[in-house]
Amino acid sequence: MGLFSESVEVGCTETGQPHTVQWKGTQYTVSSEPDRWYERRQWWLEENRAPLGTGAGLVDHEIWRVQLQPPQTDAPAPAAGPITLDLVRHVNSGRWRLLRIHAAAPARAVEPDEAA
Amino acid sequence: MSFTHLHVSTAFSAHYGVSWPDELAQAAAADGATALACTDRDGLYGTIKHLKACMDAGIDPIVGVDLAVFDDDGDHRTQVAGRVVVLAHGNNNGAGYRALCRLISDAHARTSGKAGGVIPVAVTRGELASRTLDPQTLKPVLTVLIGPDSDVGQAMGGRKYLRPRTLFKQWIDAMPPGTVVAEVVTHLSAPGVPLSTAHAVRMLKLALEYNIPAVLTNAVRYCAQDGAATADVLDSARTLKSLPELSAAPMLQPTGQGWLKNAHHMIQLGKEIMTAAGQGKADLHKLLANTEALADKCRIDPVLDMGWKKPVVPEASIIGIENDPMVELTQRCDAGITKRFPGITGEAEKQVRSRLEHELGIIARLGFASYFLTVAEVSRMILEMGVRVAARGSGASSLVNYLIDISQVDPIRHDLIFERFLSGRRSTLPDIDIDVESAERHNVYRKIFDRFGAERVTLMSMQNGYRARGAVRDAGLALGMDDGEVGEIAKQLWRFSARKFREALVEKPELRSFAERVEQGGLGENQQLDLLVDLTERLDRLPRHISMHPCGVILGDATLLDRTPVQPSGLGLPMSQFDKHDMDPMGMLKLDVLGVRMQSAMAFAVREVIRLHPSKAEVVAAGRHPVEPGGTGPDFIAEDGRIDLNSVPFDDEPTFELIRSTHTLGCFQIESPGQRELIGKMAPREFNDLIIDISLFRPGPMKSDMVRPFLEHRHGFAPEQYPHPDLKPALQETHGVTVFHEQILKTFHVMTGCGLDRADEFRRALGNEVLEPGVESYFRREAIKNYSPEVVDAVWGTLKAFGSFGFCKAHGAAFAVPTYQSAWLKAHHPEAFLAGLWEHDPGMYPKRLLVAEARRLGIPILPLDINRSQAEYRVEKIQDGPQQGKLGIRLSLTGIYGLSGAELKRIVAGQPYDSLADLRARARVSKPNIKRLAQLGAFDVLHKDSGGKANRADLVHHLQALQSSPTKKTSDVIEGQLSFALGDIELRNLAPELPEPSMVDNVRAELDLMAVDVSGHLMDSHRPLLDKLGVTTADKLLGLRNGTEVLVAGVRVATQTPPMRGGRRVVFISIDDGTGCVDSVFFHEAQEESGPLLFGTRLLLIRGTTRRTGPKGISLSATKAWDLSRPERLPFAELLPSGGAPPDEYTHRGALHGISRNLAITGLGS
Repeated sequence: MGLFSESVEVGCTETGQPHTVQWKGTQYTVSSEPDRWYERRQWWLEENRAPLGTGAGLVDHEIWRVQLQPPQTDAPAPAAGPITLDLVRHVNSGRWRLLRIHAAAPARAVEPDEAA
Repeated sequence: MSFTHLHVSTAFSAHYGVSWPDELAQAAAADGATALACTDRDGLYGTIKHLKACMDAGIDPIVGVDLAVFDDDGDHRTQVAGRVVVLAHGNNNGAGYRALCRLISDAHARTSGKAGGVIPVAVTRGELASRTLDPQTLKPVLTVLIGPDSDVGQAMGGRKYLRPRTLFKQWIDAMPPGTVVAEVVTHLSAPGVPLSTAHAVRMLKLALEYNIPAVLTNAVRYCAQDGAATADVLDSARTLKSLPELSAAPMLQPTGQGWLKNAHHMIQLGKEIMTAAGQGKADLHKLLANTEALADKCRIDPVLDMGWKKPVVPEASIIGIENDPMVELTQRCDAGITKRFPGITGEAEKQVRSRLEHELGIIARLGFASYFLTVAEVSRMILEMGVRVAARGSGASSLVNYLIDISQVDPIRHDLIFERFLSGRRSTLPDIDIDVESAERHNVYRKIFDRFGAERVTLMSMQNGYRARGAVRDAGLALGMDDGEVGEIAKQLWRFSARKFREALVEKPELRSFAERVEQGGLGENQQLDLLVDLTERLDRLPRHISMHPCGVILGDATLLDRTPVQPSGLGLPMSQFDKHDMDPMGMLKLDVLGVRMQSAMAFAVREVIRLHPSKAEVVAAGRHPVEPGGTGPDFIAEDGRIDLNSVPFDDEPTFELIRSTHTLGCFQIESPGQRELIGKMAPREFNDLIIDISLFRPGPMKSDMVRPFLEHRHGFAPEQYPHPDLKPALQETHGVTVFHEQILKTFHVMTGCGLDRADEFRRALGNEVLEPGVESYFRREAIKNYSPEVVDAVWGTLKAFGSFGFCKAHGAAFAVPTYQSAWLKAHHPEAFLAGLWEHDPGMYPKRLLVAEARRLGIPILPLDINRSQAEYRVEKIQDGPQQGKLGIRLSLTGIYGLSGAELKRIVAGQPYDSLADLRARARVSKPNIKRLAQLGAFDVLHKDSGGKANRADLVHHLQALQSSPTKKTSDVIEGQLSFALGDIELRNLAPELPEPSMVDNVRAELDLMAVDVSGHLMDSHRPLLDKLGVTTADKLLGLRNGTEVLVAGVRVATQTPPMRGGRRVVFISIDDGTGCVDSVFFHEAQEESGPLLFGTRLLLIRGTTRRTGPKGISLSATKAWDLSRPERLPFAELLPSGGAPPDEYTHRGALHGISRNLAITGLGS
């Protein structure tokens, strides 16, 4: 498991659930129903401004935990199990970033952190 | 499908809720909701505002509370086990609301009402259970929501799977059937964290298991997402922990999802919960249906349930009235005519009678007779206590009030209009304000409680909101900034709204250096300053806590406590959770019983006069009161010397001379720098002039430039002008300038014949964007029938411009009475008056300025003396020395730093003392306090009498040494055996070693320990430098020409930033240099030049030019100021007349150096 902050391309369903993830040049499909929750941000450290009217996304951000099924390849590869990633959707831009990579089995939620 | 929010905290949940009731109600209505709850923490603080907001938004209000519950298993008086929401059922003639009020009062009953009390606001489950049923019908009238903050919800985080079930079961067992629901909430936090969907699921399942209805809420703290950050800052302010600390704990809200989500979002949340719970559509439907069913049960009818706008006054029987209150009131007024207008006949009597009939007619129609009788009863009761009492405000407009002794102003003589106070077109109870001696206010309150019964009386509360200084402090706390640094920033914030902080950074010179640091934000250490500004703006105006209103007392009938929750005030008496804005909506009779220090000061002065001069002849001689040939002096002085201030005629020439001299420090309402300037220009000659003066010196008239034309006409510089001769009678007393509300009313009435009652409605509508156009078209339509278009145009222009700003003449008249009385006392009995001022400190200035005023008047200030000083200031006849026979004022022992009330009482009880040993033995004064008394010279006389050769410094040194040595057990004098008076061996044997303390040392000790400079003026020590600089003293200014450039110097005594025409800030700073006050004004440029000195410094050197303001008035237009306490930084090259050198030792420190008691000395908070 590690902590990252790298941009990923995410394709969503109509209801806004992640459906496909483009990561390290590979296209993955989300294999099971993803979990979604919100986590706090330490906005007083991460932001220089917090004026009235800042709107959503200052205090918390939306986290999606997705299980990805690697695409089938022909080449003999080490037994690739499903990968679990925590993804963050930025409120205003709608862009996605990778927050955490879990070991093969989904780990329990770790403390919120971000190296922005 | 609409959704009703049942759990919503408004901003009136202090340090918790973020949004105002009207924002919330508007948002709910916009989303299609038909009802909205307000469930503030610990009380109904926002409920009445919520009612109004809902009525305005066209939705039904739901009212409830968010309350802590005591832990049944823990210490029953200190440990709470979570919080629940309690909602009142509606449409049951108030049964639900009544139960809610009583429940909340229960929750507060055990608290101390003081900050930092150990007992929390909470109810026991037993109390909660018993209040949920109506005592009459035994039907449920309250519903309790067991949600995420309850003990059940809190237990869900633990690993004990059974614990929440056990606790939930306990609730069901403890509460009557049908009074409990489960509250399901998700703020979408991470799985396993409070307010997660997983917890919501568990709550839902508990409800299903026990067949208890579950409802969905969002436990709302803010209207929209944006409020979440503000909620974080409020959590910090409430817990006194910084955000980093709270975050680590973790004690912050787990997410920022506690906003007023719309119906779509809420249903979506419901779906997520159901999915996670493995439940289907039907279950979701059930959850939402339960929520709406509970909402429907709790819709409140403001009128039927809560008595919206229905006035309630005490039962007539409680004030001893058997017959019809109207008959009683009429009889009392008749009796009043005989008393107030003895021997009145003919036309005059007819006028009084017809006015009375008119007023009584209106009172009868409104059914307010009991109200007047109640107020009269309170007034009578206060007078019987021997306490000075005076009505203030528009109540003085009523002849009825004058006749039944509520007011002391004759409304006919001063031409005051009843309709300004009350008319048939208003259905709310009028305000009658009563001023009493401040020192007696609490006794008066207790007496009112005794008289009317505790079930009919409660104090009114007030909301204290964040202002700039408090907001910046709490924002700094949240960010974990250094206290000292935030304190420094807070010091520079001077009276502007926190919401305009960023704007102020650009505009205000005193914030310039801070603004520069914010500019450099992001460069490491200043990174937080930008956030500090934003968070400060977020906190602006949010309520912080309630406190006892300074004067409001609510009087009701026996049902009062069914209509308002009460909680202990700091005073121990119960206080309503409602503030002044809630009174009219709730039909509550509020009496303003205001403690006025000036009334105490005057009562004190009158007592001192009679104590020193116990006969009429002596008082007449001492006060130089007029004696008619063959007479014994005025009737208002009784044979025993008692002065009846209220009977002093309003035409005393020496009093007006004093007022015109502008030496009015200490006089009610006319002592401020601006008023002294106005008085100087206006030169009042009679009582009505005082009424006009007081009315002119108000923000409205000052802003709208009424003063200049008035003065020009008054002094005949410009001819008086009237728009039409018909208006002359109304406007003549103010020389054609419209100053009073009463004149606006008359103008409307004269020109349109609308009647004075409608005229008052028109006046109220002036300045109101929505209503004013209607008034204008009415006025133009009616007035044009009798007046030319030019006249109509001109008059409308005046009404429009001045109407919303003018002042009520009745207010002015009520104020002018104590103004005149205080000036009268200062003119005739200045020693007693000043002693009263020192004792009760009524004015705007620090006490030390009034001590300086005594010095200026040549009144000897008698030093502290252990055998002569009392617990209060005393006037003394000087027995010997050069001032023999004069009256001086002896300093009091009260207010010495460190000396406790108990010590003070023992000292006074044991006087006189023949030695320090005697003082120690009998008054048991602590060692540090004996030393302090010595520093202040309280033993000088004792010391001299003992024949000792040493001086004060030796004594202080000796006492200091004793302080560090262990206490010897002194042998107590055996009962019945008197110690032999030996004189003071200790003092006599003290060796003279040290040099006599200097005057600066003595003055510094006085400032440090008493916040007044007594032995000499604190500026004396700066005199050599000031002389060298060629500084002009206050007493010399009046002799200078207008426009002379001068330097002045002194200690700050007042700082004001009054509203000004044009909106640009003007800063008035007054300094005292020992010869009097210099009032200086800093316009924009001078503010730019002086920067941070404007508000931070105590000793000022100011350069400016003289402005003559009247025959006796002069002030200074400042160009620049310097800090005199840092003489080494003064630009001597620029300041010294001929480039000379500063005097030797110019850097020596003055008496103020090292003393931190800012507020008491300069009136500046630190």
